[in-house]
Amino acid sequence: MAAHSKHESHGSLGQYLAVFVALLVLTAISFAVGNSQSLRENSPSVMMAMMMAVSCAKALLVILFFMHLKWEANWKYVLTVPASLMSLFLVLMLVPDIGRRYRVYTEERKLNAAQPILHHSTTPPASGEHADHDPADAANH
Amino acid sequence: MTAHADAHDGHHAHIKLEYQPSIPIPNGKLCLWLFLSTEIMFFAGLIGAYIVLRFGSPTGTWPAPHTVHLVEWIGAMNTFVLICSSVTIVLALEAARSNQVAFAKGWLFLTLILGCVFLGVKMYEYNSKFKHGIYPSRPHSLIYERADLIYVQAVRLKLRNEISKLEAMKGSEGDFTPAQVKAGMPERLETCKAFLTNVVEWTEAKAARGDNPLEGKAAIENMAAFIYPLHHSHEAWDYHVATLTAEAKEVQARAAVLQKEIDALNEEKGTLQKSVPESAPAPTETEPAEATPAAAAASGSVSTTAVSLVRLQDADPDAAAKIGIIDEKIGLLNAQLDRMSSRLDFHKTLSDPKFEHGVNEVYSWINLPMFIPSGNMWASTYFLMTGFHAIHVLVGLIVFGCVLTYRLDASKAHILENTGLYWHFVDLVWIFLFPILYLF
Repeated sequence: MAAHSKHESHGSLGQYLAVFVALLVLTAISFAVGNSQSLRENSPSVMMAMMMAVSCAKALLVILFFMHLKWEANWKYVLTVPASLMSLFLVLMLVPDIGRRYRVYTEERKLNAAQPILHHSTTPPASGEHADHDPADAANH
Repeated sequence: MTAHADAHDGHHAHIKLEYQPSIPIPNGKLCLWLFLSTEIMFFAGLIGAYIVLRFGSPTGTWPAPHTVHLVEWIGAMNTFVLICSSVTIVLALEAARSNQVAFAKGWLFLTLILGCVFLGVKMYEYNSKFKHGIYPSRPHSLIYERADLIYVQAVRLKLRNEISKLEAMKGSEGDFTPAQVKAGMPERLETCKAFLTNVVEWTEAKAARGDNPLEGKAAIENMAAFIYPLHHSHEAWDYHVATLTAEAKEVQARAAVLQKEIDALNEEKGTLQKSVPESAPAPTETEPAEATPAAAAASGSVSTTAVSLVRLQDADPDAAAKIGIIDEKIGLLNAQLDRMSSRLDFHKTLSDPKFEHGVNEVYSWINLPMFIPSGNMWASTYFLMTGFHAIHVLVGLIVFGCVLTYRLDASKAHILENTGLYWHFVDLVWIFLFPILYLF
């Protein structure tokens, strides 16, 4: 009976190893998802959602088994739920900022924002064009 | 009944007060959990800021991992190391609870080693960024977020500084010492000078004086891609070579036009000089592609006529003034031709396949400013988040070092438990940081 209760409150070696293997598998999954070029190009939001889901699963495994919260009394909710809600709230409250301030650019902001590259969108200039103009005449001055 | 029983007990025995904590865990553990719940919000704030900056950056500008020398598998390996360390510290706690002191120490020591491995890998990663000029802020950071004239000026300034540094190295006779020659300093000086005239000043002129702003921007971007390419693909290199071929054709055409103008001016000058007996020889007809001999011939004719100009001045001051203006024009056009031929000669270097990974990669000493869209923002978030995480790891390692001095039996298990909780939290943060920093 005593042995049983001890087992109940700490988890066994087998359990820890199972969690360890699960964490490795989940890491491999997020790595594979992150390196999948087709997913990145076609639906990056799905890719990110998948990786976040995997991360949440990993976090849950660590909290429940390694941090023993699975076996703790109800006080665990008092300390973890408000903090988790607050952090979720904090992140979500910043989301409108993206929509309101960053999606619509003022001219002033455009002047200082990072530039997306033109690369490949421009074709090399055709030969003979602007032949009468010499852009190099300002050089060395 | 109970009231009666209590009263009865009160009469006959001491009241046994039982301390009932509101939360049935030791104070130390409670404090640690409270601390962890604030830490959750601390890192949530950082991650939230990252999300705003990452997804609020202009579309398509956030740098890809390899652009900023971020290697995914190294990050994955560090994740693996932290997961292993989480297991070892759990095993240390289990060993301590069952009074296996030696085992507890062994597992904890292994955790310490794994934590050190994590920090070591982190240092290696930081170093690979610093080496390439990726720092969280100026003046060390070489990142420019816009390919504009300010960027070109930064490259010019860097090359100028490098040139004056190299010139200052020279001895009193104006030569490099044999040791400096062996270290390749003359080549460095040559490279810097060639880049300054044929890449930076050329691009500057094209961007500043061109009438098509898009073409000017493309010229600066081509220069930026030559210094530090954002995409290491064959297509990008093929595009670069195609641009150069098109430019060569265009420049040759312009050189031909210039040559014709020079010829016309020389002819005009010839007719004006008819009045003086020793007139300059007529300029020879040259192929426009071979601009250098043509320029040399033209400048030669200018210097020989300088003598006859003095004579002419006495005879006909009006014609002399005209010839002076023509000479000035010819001189300017010849300078343009020189710059064009020099740029065309430099095409050989520009299309050298060794520069496929950029000038900065080939000449590690040069460290030219780089154009990475949203690169500074990336560096700020990356170093802030991984830096705070690394500080937490470091604190964990110090605590491990302190705990290792104890005899880790069942009576000390609570210390190990609290240390473990903290360490698992560090692991937890990394579980979120790894995908959002390396894989998003």
